[in-house]
Amino acid sequence: MSILKGAALLILAFFYTVTLEGIARKITARIQRRYGPPFWQNFIDIFKALTKHSISHGFIFDFGVLMAFGGTIATVLFIPAGNLVVFPGLDNVFVVIYLLAIGLLGMAMSSVGSGNPNAGIGIGRALTQMLGYELPFMIVLVGVFFQYKNSSLSDLVNIQIESGQYNAWLMPLGAVVAFISLLGMLGKKPFDVFIAPAEIASGPLVEYSGKYLGMLLIQHSFAVFIEIGLFVNLFLGGGRTIWEFLVKFFAVFFLAVIISSIMPRFRVEQAVKFYWKWPLILSFVQTIIVIVSAGR
Amino acid sequence: MNSMNKKIFNEIKAIFKNIEFTDIDERKYSVIIPKEKAVSFLETLKRKGFSHMSLITCIDWIAEKEFEIVYTLFNWETGTTLMVKTRVDRDNPILPTVMEIWPTAKYYERDIHEFFGVKFEGNPDLRPLILEKWEEIPPMRKDFDSAKYSKEHFPDRAYDVDFLLEGSESNE
Amino acid sequence: MTKQQSAWEKVANMLRARSLWMLYYCTGCGAIELPPTMTSRFDMERFGIGPMATPRQADILLITGYLSTKTLRRVVYTYEQMQAPKYIVGFGSCTLNGGIYYDSYATINKLDLYIPVDLYLAGCMPRPEAIVTGFKKLMEKIDKGEADGWKRYQENYEWYKKNQLDALGEVYIHDEFHE
Repeated sequence: MSILKGAALLILAFFYTVTLEGIARKITARIQRRYGPPFWQNFIDIFKALTKHSISHGFIFDFGVLMAFGGTIATVLFIPAGNLVVFPGLDNVFVVIYLLAIGLLGMAMSSVGSGNPNAGIGIGRALTQMLGYELPFMIVLVGVFFQYKNSSLSDLVNIQIESGQYNAWLMPLGAVVAFISLLGMLGKKPFDVFIAPAEIASGPLVEYSGKYLGMLLIQHSFAVFIEIGLFVNLFLGGGRTIWEFLVKFFAVFFLAVIISSIMPRFRVEQAVKFYWKWPLILSFVQTIIVIVSAGR
Repeated sequence: MNSMNKKIFNEIKAIFKNIEFTDIDERKYSVIIPKEKAVSFLETLKRKGFSHMSLITCIDWIAEKEFEIVYTLFNWETGTTLMVKTRVDRDNPILPTVMEIWPTAKYYERDIHEFFGVKFEGNPDLRPLILEKWEEIPPMRKDFDSAKYSKEHFPDRAYDVDFLLEGSESNE
Repeated sequence: MTKQQSAWEKVANMLRARSLWMLYYCTGCGAIELPPTMTSRFDMERFGIGPMATPRQADILLITGYLSTKTLRRVVYTYEQMQAPKYIVGFGSCTLNGGIYYDSYATINKLDLYIPVDLYLAGCMPRPEAIVTGFKKLMEKIDKGEADGWKRYQENYEWYKKNQLDALGEVYIHDEFHE
């Protein structure tokens, strides 16, 4: 049963996120007063990449791609999507965060294994930026866990649904900080310095071609599902049904796309400086408020 | 010629005899100097205010069997451009470098050496800058036949004649 | 002319025709025609054509304008780094027959002697309308399986290499910035 559920969740994550990314391209085009590609363009891109020839740069390169792909798929299975929960009770936030790191590390290993200096620079920037956004995000998470004395995703969702009060209303500062961190996780502008196509030739992805690229595009869509799903479950109360979850998912994604399509790009040290200034202060303030109000 | 330029030019005339500053345009002058005096002349000009070397270029006067090297200088105080011209024999084109006065001259001299074959004594680095694997005479010399070289090395496309005739004047 | 395609090739060609990522080698004036083609007025993205930063991921290579012998070396390098299937579009008369640089000692005259060109856009330079029409034509050709420049390059590799060596002397890049 859980195998079927897992397969359903993976298929849902893939098709929903890729469709949304196509819609995001359309939205960006409309903001720039263009017509934009059809919303299924991203499917064509991914499947076309899978039909192309590809080149390998050695064992580490191949293995890292599989590690990133496998690690991300494993993480998707722990995200509760409305009433579609594959492992009830096991979906602890820490599990998600640790499994997600496997995917990222696989990616980093494989990119550096390609030997291209642009990939090395891109990975260096990605990890530096990760240092920036993880810190405020984790502090906000600590506040959330302290509030409920619980760190299981589906339990947190159930508590929020039963009380009728989402964490976004209970701790608005924390939600804002988490959203800003989410932009960094997704690599949306203004925090897309590690991709930076014009500067470092799309950074970590520079040496991937054909089937490797197709796999990494699928991996990317899964990663988007995980990151936004985490935010929706933690702060917007997931959903009673799967549709409610998907609608909330779309709302968060839409907001991120709108913000990213009108923003210029931070340099990496500016991004880290930004994260360690306002989001960090706000996250501390939020956590102190949570702790003090819980103590009373 | 405003008073500032006149003052500078008179000072220079006092040092170097038999030179003539020609007025080309407003705030634009040229001067011809023999190649033996060129370096000391440019050094003096730099100290008198023409501190900015914009360009060094070369002209091939094939009928007179001479290369003309043109140093374009600029004075930031008066906004004056001065072109210092010096001539060198075409068969034995050797000039002293001006790298000691303006270090940036290195690249202009490399460029002139590559395209005209003028040697600059004292410039340590006269490797080709732009051309790769060049075996002919320097390409900017007037006796170099560019079309012939192009025809030999880069084959062209032959079009059908009826396509070209359509719409042209000879089609009537 | 049209060869019989297998079912898999049909699907693959259909996908390849509808998603073209381009790498542009902007040596000449064609660079100035691309921004209006990509941005709001002519919006190339509605056909699924988008810019790509690295040769490994690109499908089409745009040669926008004249190529000197020095840049041809880099183009051959870039082309060989791209992954098949790959297509080349030559812009303007410079790539056709040398254009106004037909008698220059430094620029090549005929691009398809050195790398296989799938589509030429005539003009000096072609307007964005012509570029969009040309891309539509290229998409048709890919869909029918006629754009087989990458296969021709593999089959006639010796012939292309010989032409490259005749014009360049040596294809390997020696460069004081890479030594």
